[in-house]
Amino acid sequence: MKKIIIAMVVSLGIATSALAETFTFVVPQKPGSGTTQWTEIVLKELARFMPGHTLTLRNFPGARDIPAVNAFQNELRFDDTVIMVSHGGNGVSFLQEAVDYNYADWESIGMMNLNIIVGKRLDADLDNIVFASKSGRVPDAMGMALLLCGKLESIGEYTTCFKSKVNWVPGFSKGGDRRLAFKRGELTVDRENPAAYKKHIAPNADAEVWFHHGVLQGDGTHADDVNYPGLQMEILYEQKWGEAPSGPMYDAYVLVKSFRDAMQKAFWVNAGNPNAELLQNALLEMSKDPEAIAAIQKKVGKYEWVIGKEGNARRDTLMSFVTEDALRDLVEFSNEALSIQAIYKENILNPSYLTVVEDVVEVEEVGLLQRVSNWFKSIVS
Amino acid sequence: MAAILTLLAGTFYGLIIGLIPSAGATTGLVALFGFISFFSFDPYLGVIFCMAVVASSTTGDTYAGILLGIPGANSAAATMVDGYPLAQQGRATEALTAAITTSTLNGLFWGTLTFALLPQYIKLIMYFGIPELWAFILLSLACVGFVSNKFWFRSIIAICVGLFIGLIGIDPETNIDRFTLGWDYVADGVQLMPFVAGLFAFPEIIAGWRRGESIAKIGEGTHTQQTWEGIKAVWTYKWDAFRGGAIGAFVGFLPGLGGAMGDWMSYGATVASNPDEEFGNGNMRGVVGPEGSNNAQKATSMIPTVLFGIPGASFAAVLLGLFAYLGFELGTQEIANDTRFFDSLTFGFMWATVITGIVCVLFNKHIAKITYVPYIYYFPLLVGFIIWACVQYTGGWEDYAILGLATCLGLFCKKYKFSRPAMLMAFILAIKVEALTLQMTTIYSIDDLVTRPLFLVIMSLVVMLLVFSIAKRSKLEYA
Repeated sequence: MKKIIIAMVVSLGIATSALAETFTFVVPQKPGSGTTQWTEIVLKELARFMPGHTLTLRNFPGARDIPAVNAFQNELRFDDTVIMVSHGGNGVSFLQEAVDYNYADWESIGMMNLNIIVGKRLDADLDNIVFASKSGRVPDAMGMALLLCGKLESIGEYTTCFKSKVNWVPGFSKGGDRRLAFKRGELTVDRENPAAYKKHIAPNADAEVWFHHGVLQGDGTHADDVNYPGLQMEILYEQKWGEAPSGPMYDAYVLVKSFRDAMQKAFWVNAGNPNAELLQNALLEMSKDPEAIAAIQKKVGKYEWVIGKEGNARRDTLMSFVTEDALRDLVEFSNEALSIQAIYKENILNPSYLTVVEDVVEVEEVGLLQRVSNWFKSIVS
Repeated sequence: MAAILTLLAGTFYGLIIGLIPSAGATTGLVALFGFISFFSFDPYLGVIFCMAVVASSTTGDTYAGILLGIPGANSAAATMVDGYPLAQQGRATEALTAAITTSTLNGLFWGTLTFALLPQYIKLIMYFGIPELWAFILLSLACVGFVSNKFWFRSIIAICVGLFIGLIGIDPETNIDRFTLGWDYVADGVQLMPFVAGLFAFPEIIAGWRRGESIAKIGEGTHTQQTWEGIKAVWTYKWDAFRGGAIGAFVGFLPGLGGAMGDWMSYGATVASNPDEEFGNGNMRGVVGPEGSNNAQKATSMIPTVLFGIPGASFAAVLLGLFAYLGFELGTQEIANDTRFFDSLTFGFMWATVITGIVCVLFNKHIAKITYVPYIYYFPLLVGFIIWACVQYTGGWEDYAILGLATCLGLFCKKYKFSRPAMLMAFILAIKVEALTLQMTTIYSIDDLVTRPLFLVIMSLVVMLLVFSIAKRSKLEYA
């Protein structure tokens, strides 16, 4: 009898330990950063819907937040307990930088779809805008170019017009410096996500919403934001120029704003991960729980959650925007107007892209030290 | 009662963190993310705990600087320049007591001014635009480079090397790698901890290992006597202490400028104000001056952090995250009207400053005795701690490689008298110098700049400092 009881206890222990997993959420930034805070807040609520499991956060900082996402693509995703936390900047980098990662190889657990609000000082001179530059602000720059310049024939014309009307100021890598410069009037236009806009721009008596980018819908269109009605870029454009925006510049704008805003914060696992359903269900339960959602919204604002298969469908919608012309125009505007060293990546146009792609295309020559590093790693492994 | 227990727990935790070489307020606060949710039942207690950690965890730099001649990770610890020679002369307790007392009194004075008048600073902070911040950084580099070292030409080279290393990473204008030689690891910049440890800690450890004996000879005075001497020294050099506090408070008040600036500017100002005295060989003024700065700076860093939600220093950035987790959105109107939040902030910082000051002064005489222990007994522990701190970035061989390269650089600079503080300061401020230069030259023309009185005043100070350093060359040889 004693042996049976021991065997039952041991079996129960083994069974329980097999079920209880420690899931690691990899954040591509340092502790205290925006995405880290967002993840901490969400995990705190999500943990209640994953009883018996442990959720941990791992910070994996690196230049432009890319190394962690590359590491997930190349290595970490093959561990079934690792979840990648990506943000909008990763989406912009994916379109025009030499990165390894590929959203098509992943499965969505859930993502937050949000809008970005562009504010201006009341005394801002719209023929001489002063705006902080950063690669994640390409959609804002393109939106401005469209609003300020109307319909032009080529990206070259937009570049000339943009440069004549916008002082694109480099050196603002930290949000705090930029926000203070806007408050002091050194910058005349700034942009934030809705929660940060309410906190940093809305309280200024001398600032107002200029335009917003709209909220991506399941059918691929962008709808007006109910919080800032009538101020979507497309609506203001039509009011000013008498027709809806269209043409190459607009297509490139839609491409880049969608990749930044629709996947502003997202959880991913490797395609075929056996834990995906468990994680998706937990997130779904959490999203239906009024208490959990209220706690999250209180800290990060009211954003739409797109979970599981809907997340994959949303990702596929975004991929359909990646046409050769739109991508080339985006890269040209980034290079010529914004001095960002963007590259055109033909491989993301591959029609088979929406299925799993195994090859990683090297788009940049590997340097000497990197080769030594790779060699060292190969010996160690 | 809960508030007092929380205060004591936070202070104790901060003291432990502060005593670890290389750790400090930022490290201590980052570690709190794991259990900050414990305070969800009363978030105001969380505020008290965090502020107690901020106030009590700044002692690490002082102990490492005076007892071991090694700066901490959070500031360049100018205190070590004169504090370490004092320890070698058997006056470690006196130096530590003077340092802690100065730091505590300045923390209380500037803390009171900060928290009592917090909402009044909004207009003041708006006067400091991009050109003024740029000029102020130039002033700090001039302080550490020229006033604090007699080899001014080598200081210029050290500053250039520091700036160069600090700029390794991403070009903010083009977004492409710069000076990385294709090595992805440094695309995020050379990390601070291995650089500080290599530049300062390992050269000192190697020197101690070669000496093979204890740091200090046993002095003539008893340690209790030294405690009183240290307290009296603060009164004797009260104007140096006050000046240091004022400079630190001012640096903290300006958003985004780090701890190293306040320390070294205070030290530079102390040296410049006492031109007939010798520094670098154990001058108590050289301890009291810079130590006035650190707690004052911690207090005033809360001004931009609380009023605008814009971190005044690196620790404040982490604090911002922790407070957000507790449900406090700094920089909002709700926070400005939350008197209980302000009370918790003040209670945590002020009382933790008092408790830390008393505890440290009482225990200094025991801790200082480490300087009589032969180096060989504790250097493995020290090396272990420092290496652990250095490999927290990736844990890979690259962390060790940077540590090794920085150690070679540190040994070279120490031997040939290239100012290591100047190099470190330039390294820390490189990104800021570049960012502000880009911003200033893009937004402002020369015509705009000459109409800004504050900018002109600070630039005049830079020129005066240069003239002073050439006309009356510093005797300080510390490198």
